[in-house]
Amino acid sequence: MKNFTYYRPTTVEQAVALLDNKWGPVELLAGGTDLHDLQKEYIAQPDKVVSLNGIRGLSGIKASGSAITIGANTKLADIAENSAVRKHLPGLAEAASQVGGPQIRNMGTLGGNLCQRNRCWYFRDEHVPCLLRGGEKCLAINGENRYHACFTDSYACVMVHPSTLAPVLIALAAKATVQGPKGKREIELSRFFQAPAKADEREHVLAANEIVLSVSIPIGSKNASYEVRHKQSYDWPLVQAAAAFDLKGGKASNVRIVLGHVAPVPLLAGDAAKALEGQPVNEETAAEAGKAAIKGAKPLSQTGYKLQLVQVAVKRAILTAAGAKKYWQV
Amino acid sequence: MATTWPKQRRLIGTDIPRIDGADKATGHAKYSYDINRPGMLHAQILRSPHAHAKIKKLDYSKAAKMPGVKAVHVIADVGTELFYAGDEIFALAADTEEHCLDALRAVEIEFEVLPFLVKEEDVYKKDLMTAPPRGKDRKNLLPGSEQTKGDVEQGFQQADAVVEAFYGVNVCTHQCLESHGLVAEWSDNDGRLTVWASTQAVYRTAQALAKEFGIPQENVTCITHHMGGGYGSKFGPDIQGIVCAHLAKKAKRPVKLMLNRADEVTCGGNRPSAFGKVKIGGKKDGTITAYTVDCYGTPGIGASRSVNLAYLPYVYEVENYSRKQDILRLNAGSARAMRAPGHPQNCFLTDSAVDDLAAKLGIDPTIIRRKNLPKSEGQGIDWDAVKNKIYNDEIDIALKLSDWKKKWHPPGKDNGKGVMKYGIGMALHTWGGGAQGNPPNECTVFIHRDGSVTARSSTQDLGTGQRTVTAIVVAEILGLEPREINVKIGESEYGYSTGSGGSTTCPSQAPAALKAATAARDALFAKIAPKLGVKKEDLEIQKGFIVAKNGKKTPWKKACSLIGMDTIKGEGGWSSVLALEEPGLSNRQVGGVQVAEVEVDTETGVVYCKHIVAVQDCGMIVNKLCCESQVAGGVIMGVNYALFEERIMDRQTGRQVNPDMEFYKLGGIQDIPRITVHMYDMPERGVIGIGEPPTISTAAAIGNAIFNAIGVRVPIAPFTPERVLAALAKKGGN
Ligand SMILES: Cc1cc2nc3c(=O)[nH]c(=O)nc-3n(C[C@H](O)[C@H](O)[C@H](O)COP(=O)(O)OP(=O)(O)OC[C@H]3O[C@@H](n4cnc5c(N)ncnc54)[C@H](O)[C@@H]3O)c2cc1C
Repeated sequence: MKNFTYYRPTTVEQAVALLDNKWGPVELLAGGTDLHDLQKEYIAQPDKVVSLNGIRGLSGIKASGSAITIGANTKLADIAENSAVRKHLPGLAEAASQVGGPQIRNMGTLGGNLCQRNRCWYFRDEHVPCLLRGGEKCLAINGENRYHACFTDSYACVMVHPSTLAPVLIALAAKATVQGPKGKREIELSRFFQAPAKADEREHVLAANEIVLSVSIPIGSKNASYEVRHKQSYDWPLVQAAAAFDLKGGKASNVRIVLGHVAPVPLLAGDAAKALEGQPVNEETAAEAGKAAIKGAKPLSQTGYKLQLVQVAVKRAILTAAGAKKYWQV
Repeated sequence: MATTWPKQRRLIGTDIPRIDGADKATGHAKYSYDINRPGMLHAQILRSPHAHAKIKKLDYSKAAKMPGVKAVHVIADVGTELFYAGDEIFALAADTEEHCLDALRAVEIEFEVLPFLVKEEDVYKKDLMTAPPRGKDRKNLLPGSEQTKGDVEQGFQQADAVVEAFYGVNVCTHQCLESHGLVAEWSDNDGRLTVWASTQAVYRTAQALAKEFGIPQENVTCITHHMGGGYGSKFGPDIQGIVCAHLAKKAKRPVKLMLNRADEVTCGGNRPSAFGKVKIGGKKDGTITAYTVDCYGTPGIGASRSVNLAYLPYVYEVENYSRKQDILRLNAGSARAMRAPGHPQNCFLTDSAVDDLAAKLGIDPTIIRRKNLPKSEGQGIDWDAVKNKIYNDEIDIALKLSDWKKKWHPPGKDNGKGVMKYGIGMALHTWGGGAQGNPPNECTVFIHRDGSVTARSSTQDLGTGQRTVTAIVVAEILGLEPREINVKIGESEYGYSTGSGGSTTCPSQAPAALKAATAARDALFAKIAPKLGVKKEDLEIQKGFIVAKNGKKTPWKKACSLIGMDTIKGEGGWSSVLALEEPGLSNRQVGGVQVAEVEVDTETGVVYCKHIVAVQDCGMIVNKLCCESQVAGGVIMGVNYALFEERIMDRQTGRQVNPDMEFYKLGGIQDIPRITVHMYDMPERGVIGIGEPPTISTAAAIGNAIFNAIGVRVPIAPFTPERVLAALAKKGGN
């Protein structure tokens, strides 16, 4: 691990002032479950590491009548176990409770989860020239890509965005509050992520000197997350779907469906949402939405199987959100 | 008088918790990785990033001046050809692991990058001659020659049904939780070397290091008190151990070199792949009339076969067969022995085909299994005489424990409503597991005048419970409790022992302990009989007492106090040769039957393994509890082999993309099924080892259960959702 200087500021302003205006020389540290890994693998080589853990008020969960606000430094385990989150945002509680294992959830934070780097095996191997580390092309496109994207159009890098909280938060129309040198601003989570294409881009749109303070999530919708996992312990999903909608008179409205682990960004599945909009929720309509969700997919050599999984995940997320019988459980 | 196992056994064959269990659970037990010596340095190895390359330039002057660096060691100099991504080049030792890793990255190195092959199927397209030379030959493809028996054509003509299919298992790696490596320390005054090694062969490791440094063997001590898994991949100091000792010598400081996870996975050994075309024919009554297999597998840069060709078809007796395997040498880490080398592959290539044949014949596959079991020959306790009975009995037990009659259904039929399909499948295995050693494995038992007892052997406990086995045997003979025996193992100074390979440790060590304890007991009797005023022949041991024929009982401690100033010593040895001369103490060859139950989500292709029934014989059971956990451990490894583990090589970079525990998948708690173990006890056979057999048939049984659930074969393991979905799609939806 390259040597670095460690800072532990006590205010957001101090922290922002320590940051650089380009990516690389300075990294923020929350739980460290991703950053320290990257440092040990010589992928991240910051000169300065700025801890958020000395700043008061960055963690905690507050519920109001219309929204739940979660501090960026809140641990994933706390999100998974919070009673308001479980009651109003079962999709988020489910996603948080499925992350990694207990150690990861007890250290990992919401801010770190949203800002974590991707898990592509080429990106994380210091010995190969990954596009995101200055290489000429994305090695996954013609390489080993079974866990990569199946929506690939226009993406120079075909990793999948790792966060399983992000699809749910986008489906729930959450907003992040961030702070930079010019003060605070709000970003809708649906605009928070981007597909990086070169070394000085991240998986999100923040500037290198901005800090996520909190995420605010409207409540009131039916919501759920469904992950298709190869292993049931300690694994990433192969495909994830998050669904949120209002259910009035048995019909779904304001439908939002977001796919995870299918593209370099969490993917809003507009066609799927449209298919369900105004429909009663049942196995048939949920399956129709699933079918619509794969429109526009362009799988890689080894990700064709994900198209089937997307359809199933969407169907099951919708049925779970509506509280329907889980037909897949015996 | 020949030694025998006691007729009445108080401890042997019962459930005895490991005597070191609490130490392990509390962290008291120190593994090699835990050893930290005063002033110790940390070392790591710089490896080839390329799958095939020549070193053009190697300049470590900057690295040697990096903070904390104390010693450097060149493994492969300029001009050396490197044959896989992971091949060792250079090592250094520094005061901290971080300094060491930073310094390695300061080495200036240039390569001439050469062509390479890292995927099996590519070898058949074009042999690039990129394998390490054997003589002058650099061929990647070593074609196998066909072995035949009987008349295969005629066999297929006699068949009522014939199945032809392609099956395969991918390369998987040992993934020892404690990686390979050791701590080396030289004493400056007398040139003695002590290593704390993670090894399955304590004695042999000391031997190899003595040879490397040209010093007398008694000047090298290898210590392995606790060991975090080897599975066949840790039989000597290895290159990293030798390099570590060199660095320690140069730095005049103790050095620790344990492989990091990526190196462990890419360089620490692997179980080779096996893919092949199988053709099997059979009659309605279940008789297999012919079997042919034409397969290939890769040992990486090694050159060994990946199946055990002499055992193909596996377990079953088939009149007509032919078999052949090509060896595909790739620019990837070398295969090493891995828990029953060749057998899981053999089992997969045979037992999968058996179930496909049964489906075509429209019969329960158990009929084929029973019909073609090896027939017993002769009488007595040896394998040939008992094999048919063992398999038949074990099949009966497995059918009962799994409720097979109720649960089995024709493949893909009556398999449950909805998308989740239930299936059940079986597979059979066999393994040797006899005593080893020439000279014999040694054990020494000391009885001290305070009543304490020490049992000593250089053997190692890989986690199999050997320490407890020795304690049980000695305690049985001396009328004590296992915990009262001070077992000292895992130091090369404690006499000669063989490495723990081939499931040979228990059958080699238990009789040696028996002989040593018996000799110690007899020496004790001889010593104290006059003081008790009786003849030594008139003494015997009862729990906690020494009892004379006249009825006089002397408590153990009191009796030992009569030893005087001496210490009583008994020695015992056991070997493959002695095992033949004195039958009944140990034996060789076991069977084993496993049944798997699965649920398959036919929409996602995810397989949930719900239950494994494992019926296993091992001759005389020494510790039932440990045997059962050994079987459970084997099953867990088999479940992983079936569902998760796969080394993934990249054709572009020549590197393994998943040298980790993230995408090299290993099941966690929720992925492990309920495991029902039944130990089939045959004390009359003597002790047989079962370190390896319980892992052999699990994957094939799971494959058959999946076939039973969904009615279509998933031919390649691991059975990932992707492969299950592909098979379902081929079948034409569900
Ligand atoms: C084995 C394993 C399994 C996992 N499985 C999953 C999974 O299934 N689903 C999933 O979503 N995740 C998974 N993760 C990832 C895990 O969720 C993240 O590692 C964790 O959430 C990161 O949080 P952290 O606080 O430790 O972040 P850190 O490692 O401290 O930081 C991560 C990144 O975020 C930046 N950062 C942190 N906080 C802020 C902030 N407030 N503002 C701006 N930038 C910030 C840091 O600078 C750094 O670049 C897994 C991780 C592991 C190791």
